[in-house]
Amino acid sequence: MNLFTHPALAVADSNNAVLYTFLVYMVGVFVIAWLSNRLLKSRSFLSEYFLGSRGLGVWAFALTLAATSSSGGSFMGFPSKIYTHGWSLGLWIGSYMVVPICVMGILGKRINEVARTANAITIPDVLRDRFRSVAFGLIAVSLIVFFMTFNLIAQFKGGSEILRTLLAPIDAFASAADALPGWLTGLSSLGGEYVLCLVVFGVAVIVYTTYGGFHAVVWTDVMQGIVMVIGVIIMLPLAIGQASHAVSNGQGGGLEAVTRNMARMVPPRKGTATLSATTPGAAVEIPSGSWAFVKEGDTERLFKIKSRHLIATGQSEISDVEIWEIVTPSDIERVRDRLASGSERSDVSDVVTLQIKELKDYAYGAKPEEGGSYVVGPGPHRTSTDGFLPLSLAISFFFMWAISGTGQPSNMVRLMAFKDTVTLRRSIFTVAMYYSAIYFPLVIIFCCARVLIPGMESEPDRIMPQMAVELTANIGMGWMAGLLIAAPFAAVMSTVDSFLLMISSALVRDIYQRNLNPDASEKRLKYLSYAITMVAGLGALCGALNPPEFLQDIIVYTGSGLAACFLAAVVYSLFWPRSNAQGCIAAMLSGFGAHLAMYVIGFLKGDGFSPYRFQGMDPIIVGLFTSFIVGYVVTVMTSPPPEDLVRKYFHKKS
Amino acid sequence: MSSGETAPVLSTEHSEVFRNSRREAIVIFSAWVVALLWAVPYCYFNGYGQAVDPETFSTTLGIPSWLFGGILLPWVVADVFTTWFSFAYMKDDDLGIAGDEQHSQPATGAEGGGA
Repeated sequence: MNLFTHPALAVADSNNAVLYTFLVYMVGVFVIAWLSNRLLKSRSFLSEYFLGSRGLGVWAFALTLAATSSSGGSFMGFPSKIYTHGWSLGLWIGSYMVVPICVMGILGKRINEVARTANAITIPDVLRDRFRSVAFGLIAVSLIVFFMTFNLIAQFKGGSEILRTLLAPIDAFASAADALPGWLTGLSSLGGEYVLCLVVFGVAVIVYTTYGGFHAVVWTDVMQGIVMVIGVIIMLPLAIGQASHAVSNGQGGGLEAVTRNMARMVPPRKGTATLSATTPGAAVEIPSGSWAFVKEGDTERLFKIKSRHLIATGQSEISDVEIWEIVTPSDIERVRDRLASGSERSDVSDVVTLQIKELKDYAYGAKPEEGGSYVVGPGPHRTSTDGFLPLSLAISFFFMWAISGTGQPSNMVRLMAFKDTVTLRRSIFTVAMYYSAIYFPLVIIFCCARVLIPGMESEPDRIMPQMAVELTANIGMGWMAGLLIAAPFAAVMSTVDSFLLMISSALVRDIYQRNLNPDASEKRLKYLSYAITMVAGLGALCGALNPPEFLQDIIVYTGSGLAACFLAAVVYSLFWPRSNAQGCIAAMLSGFGAHLAMYVIGFLKGDGFSPYRFQGMDPIIVGLFTSFIVGYVVTVMTSPPPEDLVRKYFHKKS
Repeated sequence: MSSGETAPVLSTEHSEVFRNSRREAIVIFSAWVVALLWAVPYCYFNGYGQAVDPETFSTTLGIPSWLFGGILLPWVVADVFTTWFSFAYMKDDDLGIAGDEQHSQPATGAEGGGA
């Protein structure tokens, strides 16, 4: 298996490689920002800073859109879901087959033309000028700032968590976190390592976005997009080869053998136990992710201890320790092999005694009649008896990715920036190929991860870096892990920088220049743009020091909420000459209200931040339907728009 | 209001960009509906709610057959459709020139404005 070197050495190489890759990557980002800033000097500042002077070519336009859409979730959350729920994720992500053509093709040409006609550089700009309505522009700005601020805080936290996951195995990182002054670490309840990552991640993004503007964001997106696709292309053959090798004892069998092995898998049990030292009174350190075999008659049960624990000298036991029991026989054998080869961290069977307090099967997937749940729908789920992806949610996600993606203002603003329709056509094709090269291969890679690295259900968000280290260590090329691990970091960075610029453009262009000081000089706007971008970034950074609860839910809420607000209003304004300001404002506000109502009902029912799902559907569907219907009804009930506006935006210019 | 208002003469006929982009949007939306109507029912009827025998479970190229037929195959078809749409169906239109482009053509000549 380990053809070239000992795994422990390769892992050490990988950890150093992560650090080196990260440093090289950051240098690249700052060089791009410096080059972008030089472009600012020769062009109309606001148009260049917020929209790249409408001059994006194919690669820049295609990859900035692809990279912005693929947030950190694509490279951390998505792999974690594949690992946890199996092949069902293929259907979950299925609508990505039409996402590029929907997101770019439905609105692209028309919004670009209308933005040029209106000389608009932001989405609120477009809506305000399209209907000559200051109120509409301000409502749009308010919604963007509201949603983006929450999302930005959540993304800052996400980026910091990813960085912490990546750098955690590096000794120098732990030392640096310990060396932070007390007043700084005291600002956050999440500890010194989190604060260090937040400061490094936050300051880097704020500086290069502030200094370089839109072009810096776009070209770092391009670099990040390339890193992502290279990572996947390298991982795919390695994953299939190594997983099939592992399940067939070197006989091969390819993906077929991997899938058949998955069909035999039974989800693990989660529970709690009391730990005590086997030698009474002895001090025992139990590293996080330790394994413990427990003999029961002729059989041996295998447990994973999730977190690090320390039984101090003289301490009798530690109670309520989270454990996971691995129940699939092939997984147990695999763990045994990995412990023998040094690939797994720690076996504490001899030094610790487990007294199991509670163990729970998955709500769906553990019963014999649900056998093979990792290879068929709806996929195993720990708490829902309906499984991971019941029919209603499968339909919802077809709406979510393709239609909700079309309604994201961060995508729309990129559609205003491409150079011409040739660029648009070629970019649709490029992004389609790009997504094809990334999303389904990711499903295959992390199904293979289920076979290669059992027991990661206890910390599924670590599966991406763990898999990168595993795959490269096994072929004796640990240094390559750095490149693979840069992918999720690149993904979250490319999302954060775009959101940051959207907030500052809303404040500088839509509030200050359009409403407060239309005659502001270029120089004043320039320094204000720098200042607002930096202040918005620092504000989000401070918010992320002690982020609110339900952060992941907030990301989902803001993403689908923006689509519920903006899609119908923008579609009507671009494609329906009869549409008017009243109808589009009604569409926007009713979408916002209906979507929010699903969350309020869920909260009142005692589900916390989990929304009420009407007929099992995601709130995005309720929001979109309400928005389109209310927008239509209000439009036809109110007076038609002024004739000159219709002519300006819908008729030939001769 | 906006510097794009250089008062061109406007006819009463819908512009070519509007007509083309509306037609293209309808085709794309139809493609999304077809993808939804194929993928979800196919996967549901062939890959949901059945206990699996690991030895006889149907796979294609190592991928569960329900997912191969429901997602991967249509994904390839969708890519072919996207290629056709991008290079054969979608029209090239003149998107105009914005005021900021007129006022600051860069020294590098990178902007084309689609005109």
